[in-house]
Formats: sequence, C-alpha cells, structure tokens
Amino acid sequence: MQKMILRVAALVAVVCSTGCSSLGVEPWDRDILAKDEMQLVTDPMEAATDDHIYFSKEASSGGRGFGGGGCGCN
Amino acid sequence: MTRKKNASISATLATATCALLGTAPAAPVCAQEIDRWDFDTSLLYYGEDNSRVQDASIGLLATRDFLDDRSLSLGLTVDALTGATPSGANTQPVAQTFTRPSGKSVYTTPANELPLDDTFRDTRVALTANWQQPLGRMYSFNVGASASKEYDYTHVGFNARLARDFNNRNTTLSAGIALAMDDIDAVGGAPTPLSPMLDVGVLSNRMDSESKDVFDVVLGVTQVFGRNTVAQFNYSYSDASGYLTDPYKIVSVVDGITGDIVPRPPTPGVDGPSHQFLFEGRPDERVKQSFYGQVKHYMSGKVLDASYRYMTDDWDIESHTLDLRLRWPLGSERYLEPHLRYYTQTEADFYTVGIVDGQVLPAYASSDYRLGNFDGITAGVKYGWKTRNNHDFSIRLELYQQRGDIPANLLIGNQAGTVSYPDLDAVIAQFAYRF
Repeated sequence: MQKMILRVAALVAVVCSTGCSSLGVEPWDRDILAKDEMQLVTDPMEAATDDHIYFSKEASSGGRGFGGGGCGCN
Repeated sequence: MTRKKNASISATLATATCALLGTAPAAPVCAQEIDRWDFDTSLLYYGEDNSRVQDASIGLLATRDFLDDRSLSLGLTVDALTGATPSGANTQPVAQTFTRPSGKSVYTTPANELPLDDTFRDTRVALTANWQQPLGRMYSFNVGASASKEYDYTHVGFNARLARDFNNRNTTLSAGIALAMDDIDAVGGAPTPLSPMLDVGVLSNRMDSESKDVFDVVLGVTQVFGRNTVAQFNYSYSDASGYLTDPYKIVSVVDGITGDIVPRPPTPGVDGPSHQFLFEGRPDERVKQSFYGQVKHYMSGKVLDASYRYMTDDWDIESHTLDLRLRWPLGSERYLEPHLRYYTQTEADFYTVGIVDGQVLPAYASSDYRLGNFDGITAGVKYGWKTRNNHDFSIRLELYQQRGDIPANLLIGNQAGTVSYPDLDAVIAQFAYRF
C-alpha cells in the first residue's frame, strides 16, 4: 500500500512538473488569483478553529495541513 | 490601539519569536523591521446540547510581512472548557455509580440516562510561531513551532515545509514534516488499559505521566488551472505512537446473553462503582493516511471553495469529508458565505459497547463515541464586512450535528433496546476582527 502511494505521489510530481506546463496563466493574468478571497486559506483563524473542533470530535484530522497532536481531547 | 503601542508590542513579539525559533537569519530582520503588524483576533463560543462540552475561546494571530516575501506569524489561543462528556459506559434502565477519574469520590447517573463524566473542566493555552522565507528564486521555506498546555496535557511540536514553483509559478510542489511530542498527566494518574474501575481511594492501577509522539508528512501539489481556478492536492501520512488511550473513557462489562451491565459487590464502608467497568485500551500505534483535494473557483465575483478528504488508518477507520463554501459579495465591502460540511466515518475495529463478563479480555477496547460509526453535518453562514479604514469584521454561526449507529453485530441481547449512539448537537459562533 505504502509503495503504491509513493509511486502515485512520484507520478503526480512528474506529471505536474512537466505535463501541467500547458496549464496556468501568464503573470499579468493573475489579478483574480491574487485576491484575498482566492487564497487557499482565506481565514487562518477560522481554519485553525475548525481543525481544533473537528480534531476533538471526530477520528480524522489533517489533510489540508498537519494533523497530529496538540490536544488532550482525542 | 496606537501605532506607538503596536510598535512596542511588535518589538516584544519579535524578540520572543526570534528566541523561540532560534532562526539566525531572522534576527537582523526582527531588529530592523518591526514597524507594522497585522492582527487577526477571534472570539469563539462552542456549545453542545444536554450540558455537554462548552468552550469559550479567544484567539490572536499576529503576522508581519517583511521585505522579499519573508513573513513571521505568531498565534495565541486560550480555551476555557467546561461541561460533561460521555464516559463510554452504556445507558441502562438502572442507576449507575462511577468513581471519578481523580479516585476521590463517586457520581451517579440516573436510570435511562447517558452516563456523562461531569468533571470535565480545563483551560488550554496554545502558542504557535511560524517563519516563512524564499530560498533562491523558485523555493520557499517555512519553519514553525507550537506548544500548548492544559491541566493534564502538554504539547510541544515543530514543523518545516519546503515548496518549489514550476511552470511560470503555476505549479507548486511542497513537502512538509511535523513532529509532536505530547505528555499526558491524567487526573489521578493514567489508568492501566483495560484495568477495572476501583473504589474511592484505590489508585493501584494508575500509572505516572504517559507520552505520545506524532510524526506527520504532507506532500502537496498546487496547480493554477486558469485565470479563475486554483486547486490543491495533498497526501498526508501520520504515525502516532505511545499512550493513545483516553485516560477518562471506560467500557461497561456486560452479560454475554442479556447484554445488561454486571453488578459489582460493594466494599463495606467505602464508596465505589455499582457495576463492573473497565478503563478503555487502544493500540499504542496508529498510522493514518489522507488524500485531500481543494478547488477554488471565481465566478463573476463569487468564489466557490470546495474540498474533499479521504482518510484511512490501521484502526480500520475510514472517513470522507466534503466541505463547500460560497462567498457571495454584497457590494464591494460586504459578503455572505454559506458553509456546508458533510463528514462520515466507520468505527474502529476495537470499538465496542461492552466487554463480555467471564471471557478473555480483548487486546483493545473502546466505547468512545468518536471512534464509532457516525455522520456529521455542519451548516452555517458567515457575514463579513470591511470598514472605511480597511479593517475586516466577520461573524459566523454554524450548527454541528452528529448522528451515529451502533453496528447490529456489536449489540448483545437487550442492548438493541437500551444502548444507542450518543448523538450530538452543537452550535459554533465566532466573531473575528482583522486589523
């Protein structure tokens, strides 16, 4: 399982560093992507709050970022 | 707050952070460029129904952008927690008496009520520090530290992340690692897993301070798909080892035919549990893997934020999480953001609603509802606005609901009519101010 995941990760890395070269925009077309509301995490405080709540109440954590430790609640 | 006061706070924060991170390159920056910080502040109320957990929390995140894309952020969160939480014991048609975790007294749950441990009261203080800077033209580097302290729990963690841009900065590959070293100093001492709940004053099955370590790896790809669309894909690997048991959770001992709880002969003159209960026991290692994808798409001013996570672990838990947000502008200074989140998980392979009396003890057992089979739904809305001096306010209100089922093959005899998953309804209210 872990070998397979590493292979998939390597494949994604290779594809995205070569095959994705046709995707994307020129630097002068980044006006929308540069907006605050288009950042992947727009509200770090809210994101941290939600991560903490769901870490305490569910058996899953992380995904977007690191998911381990930090609280006696689970 | 005046600029002068800001500068004074900034200087103190910068000095403290340089000392905490121990980053030599940051030192001259901290000394020279301390004239302006951005602050994110937050007030949160989280409250569960039926007098279960209540949390009032304040948060502060201070961020300073330096020249050349370097930035420093410092976070502080203080949580005040009260309320009761399900102990793991089964609801029964008779009253049940339990010894408190401290071992100093008992409490009684009336017949037909869910046993709740009402001694839950804690204050948690958490600190984070993070430094980010470019390395050469195409790389960026991020290093952070975190620490938190509760009455019975101490956390120290470190993390680092390296990212490289490709394809005209339309593709970013990143790799990060994190290490957490946590200590558990349970009230009354952490119980030996699967040992019995004993009379008041008897702490012979309690251990000293326990610890756990968590090692995380996150590999990620961020890809710009066009002028309006950006996406992220992450793979996460997490290895937790050490004392992963919850020291306050218990499991009922039940009759193998009826499924009813088993009485415990009282010790004359001493308070103690009315029935047989065992402290839960979990494996001392857990490996989790997650696949996470997120897309942000801009549609004539509106922004859709959709994410999905699949998690699997070696405790046989699988989960799916779908999160949708739509930021809907109301003019140029205000917006409304509805939010919907769906979560579902399967139970751990050692999840149980009773250990059968007289049989050989299983290797592991837990009745913690968070390791059970349930769905969670969050629905809410956020309203945000910008002031004339460019400060941001937002307020959000969300409802979180857990509904679970106990798999039929785990139920014995009468349990089908008496034991059910402890459903949960909670409200999340948060006020945030960014200046």
